[in-house]
Amino acid sequence: MIILEDVHYSYDGVYTALRGISLQVDDGERFAVIGANGAGKTTMIKHMNGLLRPQKGRVILDGQDTKFMSVAEIAREVGLVFQNPDHQLFLDSVKKEVEFGLRNIGFTESEAEQRRQKTLASLGLEGFAERSPFTLSGGERKRVALASVLSTEPRFLALDEPTIGQDAHQKNQLAQMLAEMNKRGRTVVVVTHDIEFVIENFPRTVAMADGQIIADGSTSMVLSNDEVIERCALAPPQMTLAARALRNVFPEVGQRLTLLSELEETIIGILGGA
Amino acid sequence: MSFLEVFQYTRQDSVMHRLDPRSKLVLSIVCAAVSMMFMEIIPLLMVFTCLLPMIAAAKSLSRWAKSMKGLGALLVFVLVFNTLLSPVENPFSYSFSLAIRLVALMTSFSLFFLTVQPDQLSQALIQMRVKFEFAFAMSMAMRYVPTLGQEAYAIMDAQRARGVELDKGNIIKRIRNIIPIIVPLIIVSIRRALSIAESMESRGFGASDSRTYMEMLRFRKRDWAVVLSSLLILILVIYVRFFVGLPGWMLWNFPF
Repeated sequence: MIILEDVHYSYDGVYTALRGISLQVDDGERFAVIGANGAGKTTMIKHMNGLLRPQKGRVILDGQDTKFMSVAEIAREVGLVFQNPDHQLFLDSVKKEVEFGLRNIGFTESEAEQRRQKTLASLGLEGFAERSPFTLSGGERKRVALASVLSTEPRFLALDEPTIGQDAHQKNQLAQMLAEMNKRGRTVVVVTHDIEFVIENFPRTVAMADGQIIADGSTSMVLSNDEVIERCALAPPQMTLAARALRNVFPEVGQRLTLLSELEETIIGILGGA
Repeated sequence: MSFLEVFQYTRQDSVMHRLDPRSKLVLSIVCAAVSMMFMEIIPLLMVFTCLLPMIAAAKSLSRWAKSMKGLGALLVFVLVFNTLLSPVENPFSYSFSLAIRLVALMTSFSLFFLTVQPDQLSQALIQMRVKFEFAFAMSMAMRYVPTLGQEAYAIMDAQRARGVELDKGNIIKRIRNIIPIIVPLIIVSIRRALSIAESMESRGFGASDSRTYMEMLRFRKRDWAVVLSSLLILILVIYVRFFVGLPGWMLWNFPF
């Protein structure tokens, strides 16, 4: 369990990036963090693995204050994948790149190889093992960077904008992989602007604005809140818009509607059941 | 690395900032040349006391002081090692003057870099008949130094998150730990350079041979005054140093 207690952080002492963040991340949870650019999302998840230390407040990992732990220690428990894959790729083959993280954490050669193959396969990178990461496209590099952290299967996994540059199919693959890891008891946190990705894959959503959490709860509740959508600079989910249009005609259509299945149910209900 | 701050342009409105970059270049070089000409404590202190009011005129004393504090460790290093190891007669006096000389040299050049905006610098070079492409490349290089720094920090974060322990282990391990930082930094820089080049070309960089400039630098009376007095001082100092010799009291040393 990770607990953030009234975390404050400022990069330069003038502008405050986080002003009093309190958040509880339970084991085995899966949730999304949304918010406009500059809301403090990345700053917050950097606190989860100790890259940044709170200037006020505390970060507690499994009952232990992270103040006394090194980043490498925390990294065994909390994996973090950054936005820009080019910031972490440095080896001359995809294979070595993925195994690098596994070795750091102390897996044996055969275990590392097994995990590497499995991760590459589930991210659609089977044929790339011997390729140099630098010759790959942006989206492929992104997946290699993801693979290098996902393969270690940390208990907590935080991903910063993992869907950038990925097509629908690759997004589904990623979502599937995250769901599988989540089923095995791993906690998955995703920072994203991709609202459809959130709706389809994450039951809980945390919305941030101006360094504060402005909403935290079930995804359908948070995303059907107009104020949240507005302050996070998002467009309302397609299904919510469709539901609103329908409600003009059929007042029985619900307010908090974000999923296709919900909309289907409602329409079937209106049509008198099928 | 806070001592490098003194070489970073700071936006200010001051007498020094308003001078033409070319006259400041002459001033800086003369100051540096004069401090290079002496190895005695008194003349170096005199140079130093002339430089301070100029930094004050640029309204940058606090920044300068901060940088010098950052330089403190290096100065102590210079003092201690030279005192212990140099074979000259009065090693402490020798290393003391070396330390003042280092400060004076840094201050001389900081006069230029603190007060010249990168754009002005390239404009000055162009008006000194340097080819536009070279001047532009130079100002681009200066422009991207802070960006590169930020990038380096982001890369360090990304690697630390993968379990790389940057500040642990023996010297060989530490050197090996630089690889995961330096390789992405180089790759990212090359990628950026390529994309900047492409975006510049798509905006018509180099389309016409003769360029016109929105702001031309003009040499004013005060610039002539600065250049002439700098050169005059340089000639005077050269004359005294090489043809007359320093008066006795200027040769004073610590007795050890």
